Amino acid sequence: MDYAPLKDRFPGGVLSVAQENGQDAIEVTRDAAHDVLKALKDEHGFDMLVDVCGVDYLKLERPERFAAIYHLLNTQTNARVRVRAFVPESDPRIATASDLWPGAGWPEREAFDLYGIVFTGHRDLRRILMPEGYEGHPLRKDYPLKGRGEREDFPKYEPVENVDWQGQPTGD
Amino acid sequence: MPTATGELTTKTMLLNMGPQHPATHGTLHLKLELDGERVVACTPEIGYLHTGFEKLGEYLTYNQFVVVTDRMNYMSPLSNNIGYSIAVEEMMGVEIPPRGQVLRVILAELSRIADHVLCCGLQGMDLGAFSVMLWAFVERERLYDVFEWVTGARLTTSYTRVGGLVRDVPPEFVERVRAVSKKCGEVTDEIERMLADNPIFRQRTVGIGAFTSEQCIAWGLTGPLARSSGVGRDVRRDRPYSGYEAYDFDVVTRSEGDCWGRFMQRLEEMRQSLRIIRQALDRGLPPGPVMAITKKVSLPDKESVWGSIEGLIHHFKQIMPGRGHGVHPGPGEHYSCTEAPNGELGFYLVSDGGSGPYRVRVRPPSLYALQAFPEMLKGRMLSDVVAVLSSLNVVAGELDR
Amino acid sequence: MKSGLADILLTTKDKLVAWARKNSLWPMPFGTACCAIEMMATLSSRYDLARFGAEVIRFSPRQADMMIVSGRISLKMMPVLIKIWEQMPEPKWCISMGACASSGGVFDTYTLIQGVDQFIPVDVYVPGCPPRPESLIDAVLKIQEQIEKRQPSAAEVWAQDLQEKAPAKAS
Repeated sequence: MDYAPLKDRFPGGVLSVAQENGQDAIEVTRDAAHDVLKALKDEHGFDMLVDVCGVDYLKLERPERFAAIYHLLNTQTNARVRVRAFVPESDPRIATASDLWPGAGWPEREAFDLYGIVFTGHRDLRRILMPEGYEGHPLRKDYPLKGRGEREDFPKYEPVENVDWQGQPTGD
Repeated sequence: MPTATGELTTKTMLLNMGPQHPATHGTLHLKLELDGERVVACTPEIGYLHTGFEKLGEYLTYNQFVVVTDRMNYMSPLSNNIGYSIAVEEMMGVEIPPRGQVLRVILAELSRIADHVLCCGLQGMDLGAFSVMLWAFVERERLYDVFEWVTGARLTTSYTRVGGLVRDVPPEFVERVRAVSKKCGEVTDEIERMLADNPIFRQRTVGIGAFTSEQCIAWGLTGPLARSSGVGRDVRRDRPYSGYEAYDFDVVTRSEGDCWGRFMQRLEEMRQSLRIIRQALDRGLPPGPVMAITKKVSLPDKESVWGSIEGLIHHFKQIMPGRGHGVHPGPGEHYSCTEAPNGELGFYLVSDGGSGPYRVRVRPPSLYALQAFPEMLKGRMLSDVVAVLSSLNVVAGELDR
Repeated sequence: MKSGLADILLTTKDKLVAWARKNSLWPMPFGTACCAIEMMATLSSRYDLARFGAEVIRFSPRQADMMIVSGRISLKMMPVLIKIWEQMPEPKWCISMGACASSGGVFDTYTLIQGVDQFIPVDVYVPGCPPRPESLIDAVLKIQEQIEKRQPSAAEVWAQDLQEKAPAKAS
């Protein structure tokens, strides 16, 4: 499929259109991401969003540290395309795709939870996999695999006697 | 309390279902806002089984990650193994020998049958038909016997490696699988006879939780959920892998899209899987190795390791840890998908040339199913929550990873 | 009818209570992941756990004796586990089924509890990933043996330890 017209339509927004191992990949800046996705959906027929995920390119040389990767599918022609939107570390915000495809809601929440990429305009952006009040974004490359001690931070079970269900002493 | 105009105002009630609940099929937490028996809103909370598979993948080698994929969709672990191995093989451009491909197809279809029969059984159990669940488990036990005989484990098989299968199947494989698949066909018919026209089952499932095909596409649903709504997509036909183009099977679709339609869809898919297995067995297993013989993925045989310097170096480069050793695709990114029993199971791999992935992303079909769940429940009652949830086949291991 | 000593069952109250308890251990299946499927297989027809008295599986902690923690326990799930354990009335026993519940298993990650025995008392650990149904049945039989020999459950041992460490609390 020919995506070169997209480069002309969004000058400066579409960084590159390439084939990676036989798969079409479009690299965009985060400001152009939403418009490029909308163009792909409305004009090129990519009606299904297969997946949204984040990647932390800390150890590789890339324009920015984070990227939001969108995989799109055209159910009529079986064409697939990958859109890679680079998101800077200093200001990790990008417009949400959940207005185009409602199925993007939870994967974007997951990318926010695990990477810290904020999807502006999302109807309910909060942590989905980690507990409420958890600090840190686990899938970042500088976050340790074994965590920072949260998994040992629970009270040891103590049986209590002579208290009622609200914790008040029964006076027995 | 009546208001000035004489209307009665009511308040909705918040009911927590789960995460420890018999009908939530694993660790799901549903916050239901109820107006009497009507569900006004439903907010699922997930993450109660989050294990950090994707983070763990960055610290393991490509072959070690196969062990982790078992534990995602634990209803059909072989499908996960096969899906992941195919992703790495596509990235590296490794061709699997024909025997390996045929065996992968047979085992993938057997694990699809195992998953679907359990889902149908649990759908019955959640609505009160406990015997159907026990029958489904007996069927699964028969399949477990085959899996254990071939792979060594009932549930966590870890049978594939990048490049093929870890070992060949025992000699009587064809006869045994033929006998098991014949019995599977009988059990499928039994379950259908038991539930499909049962008036109680029909009352609880027909018209409940219906989704149109446009909604399925918008919400990213794939697999039996999408096909039962009329979306005629199947990765085995649209993006064939592992030799599926050589098999003659139908991509069955239905138009109802409700719980009953999904139940019938899964039964029909089991029949199509049996058809594929029968074709594969009738053609016979092609002779040859089950693992691709290339320096990139396979281990050399012991005679060449001890007898020649090339064999020794080949062995060293595959086994010893270090950059550029073992299975290592070149730097790049690749997305690959297979038709798991739940839908399109995708793996997105980012490689930096090392012996383990830089990033492993699993595209879980259950996540999209549960995300669309509140939409399916619009205007339904409390008892429909259980019926719709069990028809989605949400597997918590895959959902939370 | 002939009357005589043979018609009357003589036993000590202790023995009778232990016999009743061990033959009616109602499990509280705290199933999360793959081990839960093997636990369901144990409770199904082929490896029927109901033969050993574990008939009533009602998912209500108030009516259960024995909690079977089967599957990996994550950060979000641990408070739920503790609450369910606290809701179970004494006497209670706990089986930690599988490698993940016993020690974290294959997954030494930021979100998985490396062994539930750090926070709740465990009587029997069942190794395996997942353990075979026969192993789980063996674990239930071990608990039955423990009850028969009138050994204290792990919960009682923990309670005793706590009392010894803080005798001032008792007064």
